[in-house]
Amino acid sequence: MLIVAVTGCSEGPISASHADGVIYCSEGDPGGFNPQLDTSGTTADAAAHQIYDRLIEFDPDTNNIVPALASSWVVSADGLTYTFQLRRKVSFQKTPYFTPSRYFNADDVLFSFNRWREFDHPYHNVSGGIYPYFVSLGLEHFIESVKRINGYRVEIKLRQPDSSFLANLATDFAVILSEEYAQQELVAGTPENVDNLPIGTGPFKFESYRKTSHIRYRRHERYWGEPVQFEKLIFDITPSRSIRLAKLLTGECDAIAFPGHSDLDIIQQKTNLVLDEKPGLNIGYWAFNTLKPPFDNALMRQALAMAIDKDTLINAVYFGSAVRAKGILPPTSWAYQKNLRGTSYNPVKARELLDEIGIQPGFTMDIWAIPIERAYNPNSMKMAELIQGYLQQVGIKVNIVQYEWTTFRRKLREGLHDSVLIGWNADSGDPDNFYRPLFSCAAIVSGTNRANWCSKEYDDLIDQALRYTDPQERRLFYQLANSILQEEMPLVPIAHAYRYQAHQQHISGFKINPFGGVRFGQVKKSQ
Amino acid sequence: MMSYLLRRLNLLVITAFIVTVASFALVYLFPGDPLINLTGIVPANSEAYAQLQQEYAFDKNLFMQYVHYIQEIYQGNWGLSISSHNSVLDEILLFLPATLELSVYALVLSTVIGIPLGFWAGLRYQRPVDYGILSASLLGYSLPVFWLGLILILFFSLNLGWLPMSGRISLLYDIPHYSGFILLDILHSGLAESQAAMQDAVNHLILPTLSITIVTSSIVIRITRRSVTEVMESDYIKAATARGLSRGQILWRHGLRNTLLPILPQLVLQFTALLTNAMIVEVIFSWPGIGNWLLQAIYQQDFPAIRGGMLAVSAVVIIFTLSMDVLLRLINPLKDRDVHGTI
Amino acid sequence: MFMARSKLYIEEHYPSPLKHTWNEFQKSHVSLTGLWLLCIFLVIVIFAPGLAPFDPNKQQVDILLLPPSWDSSGSIQYLFGTDSLGRDLLSRVIYGSRVTLGISILLVLISMLIGLTLGAFAGMGHGLRSSILNHFLDSIMVIPTLLIAIIIVAILGTGLWNCMLAITLALIPRFIHITRNMVRAECNKEYVTAARLDGAGRVRILFDSILPNMIENLVVQGTFALSAAILDISALGFLSLGASATTPELGSMLSDGMELAYVAPWSIALPGCAILLMLVAINLVGDGLRSSLRHRLQH
Repeated sequence: MLIVAVTGCSEGPISASHADGVIYCSEGDPGGFNPQLDTSGTTADAAAHQIYDRLIEFDPDTNNIVPALASSWVVSADGLTYTFQLRRKVSFQKTPYFTPSRYFNADDVLFSFNRWREFDHPYHNVSGGIYPYFVSLGLEHFIESVKRINGYRVEIKLRQPDSSFLANLATDFAVILSEEYAQQELVAGTPENVDNLPIGTGPFKFESYRKTSHIRYRRHERYWGEPVQFEKLIFDITPSRSIRLAKLLTGECDAIAFPGHSDLDIIQQKTNLVLDEKPGLNIGYWAFNTLKPPFDNALMRQALAMAIDKDTLINAVYFGSAVRAKGILPPTSWAYQKNLRGTSYNPVKARELLDEIGIQPGFTMDIWAIPIERAYNPNSMKMAELIQGYLQQVGIKVNIVQYEWTTFRRKLREGLHDSVLIGWNADSGDPDNFYRPLFSCAAIVSGTNRANWCSKEYDDLIDQALRYTDPQERRLFYQLANSILQEEMPLVPIAHAYRYQAHQQHISGFKINPFGGVRFGQVKKSQ
Repeated sequence: MMSYLLRRLNLLVITAFIVTVASFALVYLFPGDPLINLTGIVPANSEAYAQLQQEYAFDKNLFMQYVHYIQEIYQGNWGLSISSHNSVLDEILLFLPATLELSVYALVLSTVIGIPLGFWAGLRYQRPVDYGILSASLLGYSLPVFWLGLILILFFSLNLGWLPMSGRISLLYDIPHYSGFILLDILHSGLAESQAAMQDAVNHLILPTLSITIVTSSIVIRITRRSVTEVMESDYIKAATARGLSRGQILWRHGLRNTLLPILPQLVLQFTALLTNAMIVEVIFSWPGIGNWLLQAIYQQDFPAIRGGMLAVSAVVIIFTLSMDVLLRLINPLKDRDVHGTI
Repeated sequence: MFMARSKLYIEEHYPSPLKHTWNEFQKSHVSLTGLWLLCIFLVIVIFAPGLAPFDPNKQQVDILLLPPSWDSSGSIQYLFGTDSLGRDLLSRVIYGSRVTLGISILLVLISMLIGLTLGAFAGMGHGLRSSILNHFLDSIMVIPTLLIAIIIVAILGTGLWNCMLAITLALIPRFIHITRNMVRAECNKEYVTAARLDGAGRVRILFDSILPNMIENLVVQGTFALSAAILDISALGFLSLGASATTPELGSMLSDGMELAYVAPWSIALPGCAILLMLVAINLVGDGLRSSLRHRLQH
């Protein structure tokens, strides 16, 4: 197959430069080039698997954890000590702004962990000093120490057993930075360069970035893994879904992010295009700001949840390519609770509840709709309009609010919203990755708990769950957590969407990564 | 001539004054802190704020602030963009040439298409050819340019697959920024594949240029046609006809010059409308120009950028209009002092 | 009856200037067609609620993206089909025309009134104040109206109201400019001099002598301003700076339809056609009026 592709290439009329690059039409600007600093999917896409590697990695086919920069690891019997053996002769990228003088070693691992773990680390406060993913999981408290045993061996000690620890290390955010580069920039007095002009061990090196336009990468010639098959990788930032589809049709993009759910048929009909599909580990939801009255009242939230018909939303917004959400976990997760009862559409009951808590007809509330598409919500504006229609029936007027994505996230973190239509993409297959970032008190600070909801009882339950490695036992705790969520309804779970990606026929090896960012390292382009 | 030039210079100074005052006023009119709107720098603490205040003369009265503002503008410090933290002027210099390139091609093409067609229609006044051209131009002139762009994309890019629909050139070609005019930059780059790159860039240019050209050339046709009919009805043409000159001779000796001279200033005035259209078309064709950039700035409430963009676009229009005015005056010293365009 | 109207003497009949213009206008079939088209649009503007078969914001989720009735899978009940939220497109186009055209007419009238007042002041006045105003206008005229509107929207924030305000403010300088020039031109004519010699005051000259002579010209300018206003309001809607997506405004409908341009081309074709027809009608009327005006003045 490969041979055919290669000979085909040499005969093709397309010039060398054209066959030598892949254009990926992405949906938005990255928030930077360091995934430690940002949980948004656009950042993970742009940096996590292109520029960087992790100690360990998820296999996109089996979802198992496989070696990456750590060639092997050992977990102690008490589940508290993890020892990683590091890969040798791994080169960092050489760019006009940095020339590495040594291979990757334990110092880089220590730097990468200590940067977010230690508050007095010289790099801790660089670029804002907020590490949302780790903070939302409370990892800096779980980890007792990160020690260098020798140049190629690192030992991590935990304070208590954490059954999701390895999975967390394999997420997009646990990237390994270059300690040598960080020192160079610290001396030069420009430490924030580390996050904007990134250096990693990944398959591509950063070349240039122009906001709202494009990102350029080049092949990392001395990549430790399988050699990259093409020279240039370009992210063409195209926020509009219809334009992305159009560019795919005209061949201006080799692959696109988030094909619209309404456009799937078109892509399937074209013989030169390929559509990949996978059930997604995600949740699209409608969160209420529980700090703001009247949304601090659980009955209010219950009433609103009953006022909307999820089936219709799924049909109109996802065009049916999503599973109706009952709880927070998608059916593909092992901890999924089959007998959970979701809310059902009951406008009469909703109105009764509203009367009970004294919400007059004509009450006005805001719904914030995210300005970009995510797998969990391909068109949140449209969903907001539909919800606007439903709430009108129970006498509530709705203002739809939308800002540009960076502004949107900033204002959301400031807690200015009444309610927001947003969602969550899992970063690992572990259920804790849903329960903790979305509802824990710590996640309010890190900005992933959009409901600003905090319950000691709930936090205790999910902490307890992590102490057990047996799935059956853990599942019990999550069921208890589910019943609290049902009662409190800090957010209305709406749908678990399928994940799609579309690309030209001549692109191969481009797989849907069930957890987080896209990967181009294994992609091949033939003609 | 001297007094004319002085008058123009006077107008230039006054206009520049008004535009800079307006852009300075924006600093206060935009929501938020005027100092941040001006500089694009968000001071970390009150000391930094005080220092910034002093630096930009914000502790003095409005007049001094304005004077300081003019100095900064003149020195090229247009503030920082709030969203990208880059110098606004640098960004403008990066994006403006793309718009100018598009506008210039469209302007040239509109003139090359519009004037001959307008002549033809005017010479065949109230005959089928005239009606045909007139109807077409009325239709072209009534087309909303953003809709036209969409229809062209639907037809030529998506259905036929002939032409690309976004950007200036395939991103696989990395053309270094030199003049900002993509065709010149390709020639200058000396890349091995510059032939293919050139072809690609031209393909990218066709649809956006066409969208603007259809609308603008309709206006050019109407202006030319009217001028031609007026000239052909004038007494000296009648006299020439009476002298027995052939139509061709009349047109060549008397018609051409007398028709073209009065419409040139009107054509110059169309540049403003053309530039606006170009800025809208950029959005549809994802053309990395000033219109697209300005719109992003508005979405992101990037006030220093909006202010800079407005200043830059106005400056382009003013400089173009006035310099063309002077140029036309050199060609035709008899020209009326004030010509204001009608369509 | 008939007899009574017949004339005994051959009397030369002079129609009033307005009547004369109308006679000239009538001669052109094309212009008349434009006028009829415009009248149809005006009827739509006024009677939209009666004409639209459905509520333009009523979402019917079981019939999303229904093609227009002439398509094989369309339904006659929804003549133009439905959009991605199942809203009837015909009703939306009708309401959209109402919003776009209705608001544009309103804006043109308001800015004409303001422009006329200021322009008359500028035209009648002399000296420094008038000169400053003139220079100021010349500078404003240099900046594209849409850019002025965009900047005003940036100051005030997006939304239909702000966008209306912005377009009004952007249109006013043009009217001031035109009025000023017309008043200037008229002031130098003999009949005004005659009136002045009769001892008429400035205000009286303006209202009794100059304004009546300007009306037709103002109407012509009004039609141009109207087409500019429609283009601007729909452009702002299209750029998501104007009417919100829920308001049926033709420009924002277009940008809405762009999302599904390939699946449902009719959702961009139909609102666009509505704008096009509106502009064609207005431009035909404007052209017709202007050429009949010129004919009248020439003969």
